[in-house]
Amino acid sequence: MRKEQQILKSKITIPLPESSVEKENEEKKYLRRILVSGTISLILIAIILYVTPKTILNTTSLIEYATIVALVIFLFILLLRYFAILLLAYLYINEYTYKPVNGFYPFVSIIVPAYNEESVIAESVKSLLNLDYSNYEIIIVNDGSTDKTNEVAESLVGYHEGRNNEIKVSLINKPNGGKAQALNAGIKQSKAEIVLCMDGDSQLSPESIKVAVRHFTNPEIGAVAGNVKVMNRGKLFTDLQALEYIEGLNMARSAQSFIRLVNIIPGPIGLFRKKAIEGAGYYSSDTFAEDADLTLKVLANGWKIYYEPNSISYTEAPEKLQQLLKQRYRWTRGIIQSIRKHKKLMFNPTINFGDTFILWTMFYEALIWPAMNIAANLFFILAAMFFGFTEFIFFWWAGLALLDLVTALYCVAVEKEEFRLVGYSLIYRMFFILIIDVSKLMSTIEEFLGIRMTWGKLERVGTKKV
Amino acid sequence: MELIPILSTIILVATISTFILAIGAYILYKTRESKGQQVIASQPKSVEAELYTPVIERKVQGKPAPDYVQTPFSTGYKSREPIFAQERSQVQTKATPQFQRYSGEKKTEPVNLREKTYKGQVAPIEKEKKLKDSKFLKYTSEGYVDPKTDKSTGALKWR
Repeated sequence: MRKEQQILKSKITIPLPESSVEKENEEKKYLRRILVSGTISLILIAIILYVTPKTILNTTSLIEYATIVALVIFLFILLLRYFAILLLAYLYINEYTYKPVNGFYPFVSIIVPAYNEESVIAESVKSLLNLDYSNYEIIIVNDGSTDKTNEVAESLVGYHEGRNNEIKVSLINKPNGGKAQALNAGIKQSKAEIVLCMDGDSQLSPESIKVAVRHFTNPEIGAVAGNVKVMNRGKLFTDLQALEYIEGLNMARSAQSFIRLVNIIPGPIGLFRKKAIEGAGYYSSDTFAEDADLTLKVLANGWKIYYEPNSISYTEAPEKLQQLLKQRYRWTRGIIQSIRKHKKLMFNPTINFGDTFILWTMFYEALIWPAMNIAANLFFILAAMFFGFTEFIFFWWAGLALLDLVTALYCVAVEKEEFRLVGYSLIYRMFFILIIDVSKLMSTIEEFLGIRMTWGKLERVGTKKV
Repeated sequence: MELIPILSTIILVATISTFILAIGAYILYKTRESKGQQVIASQPKSVEAELYTPVIERKVQGKPAPDYVQTPFSTGYKSREPIFAQERSQVQTKATPQFQRYSGEKKTEPVNLREKTYKGQVAPIEKEKKLKDSKFLKYTSEGYVDPKTDKSTGALKWR
């Protein structure tokens, strides 16, 4: 694959261009949090005390009544959310056309951050050499790996036979500083106008750059989000995640793309106009969801973001429950941190209405929705165990399963995915989503309490072939 | 026994089990994580790194492309591969053959548009454009041609 070549090894100093965020006073922050939650609680207690004497119901009936009202509201929001997403996703698919833009082949730098990816990095770079695009280079950033990633990556440096021409592969070897810092180092080193940021364990489909760069002919587009698919299928949790990526994430992304406001450019594949990243102040290390944070910053600067379903990145999904919880815990806390970081935009729609809208939907998806789902399930368990309404839970499950089944069928058909995944929709909401929502709720509570967390590293099995 | 009560019981048990599983797994995860808790280091302003690059600089890196490059022809052939892609022509690629002057000796028919273009001939789209401009056309065994072009071949003509 690689000819005998001389490799130049040089020492470089990489400025870390992360936007400087003023550190908040911790004591002040918690005091404010206690004051806000205390005030809300007092208002609620005051309303209850004021309303209770005026009702003709006793306390038990009041609780039952309130629960039923809450449940009806939950059902209404659930259906509204589903149909709104389905409608927008449908409009997006109708609008989506593949029209190649002749003569537009900008130079693209692919940044591959790697931390302890010795088992997957070679396969990942191999997939990048097979891209159906000529004008690109690969920059691997070894973020202080403790395994043999450095040796593997070093052996990959040079000019390689690509699909259309020879592709330059470079390596930056830096001390460990996190994914955001690694990506920033790669972006700083790049001379390209467009950068593709991905994960070290991801593999790209051959046409992923070609189909995505054409959107940059529109000067308003600052970034293009790709389509993430699960590579290691065949196990219960990975198959459920494969369905979740199609039904939960991609459908929502399609809907957001119709209004050009994709809220999260996924870590495994995202193309950015370099000046959009520079304007946004690069990736930040102050949240655990650096992709969500950067996306919000790019949107806040007035750029539009599009979703390209044919720009596919295959990624390794966690196979064990513990690994899955670790990933979701980080995602949830990262998203909450990003929302909090941009709260000014959330409460002031005059700055950027698109960002305000996106932030509220993120807030709803990350905080309100999981709490509502758990509360609804608890209600049916209690209704069955203490009031004998066992059949309620069946109809609840049947309704949701039917909704998921129809959505899964639609999404599988649109993405031309494996049909067998549709079957998982029967246990998707009552089993998989419930576990995820419990994790989300716990993470939210921990974030609220300010419990310290670390990035953690998911174990990779090194799936060879896409 | 009816089916719905059985299914309801199964779902009830499954939901309760899922709750227990989710909470249990979460507690287990937190217990394991707390053992390996690290202190987050503050971010420095710059970092020393090593850069490994291949020595020979080739023309792989193109110049930063303009925001939008106009297509050379706008004759309705939008769905085809670009014939004279501006950015590609600057890049020395494996797929780009060496320029060769057209010699009339070779009689082999070009396979596709791209080959035809590479061999120095006038692109069919260009030809079409020229034909549109000329007022009179002559019908030959090769179809409609410009009379000027036909004369320039130097062949004897029947009068």
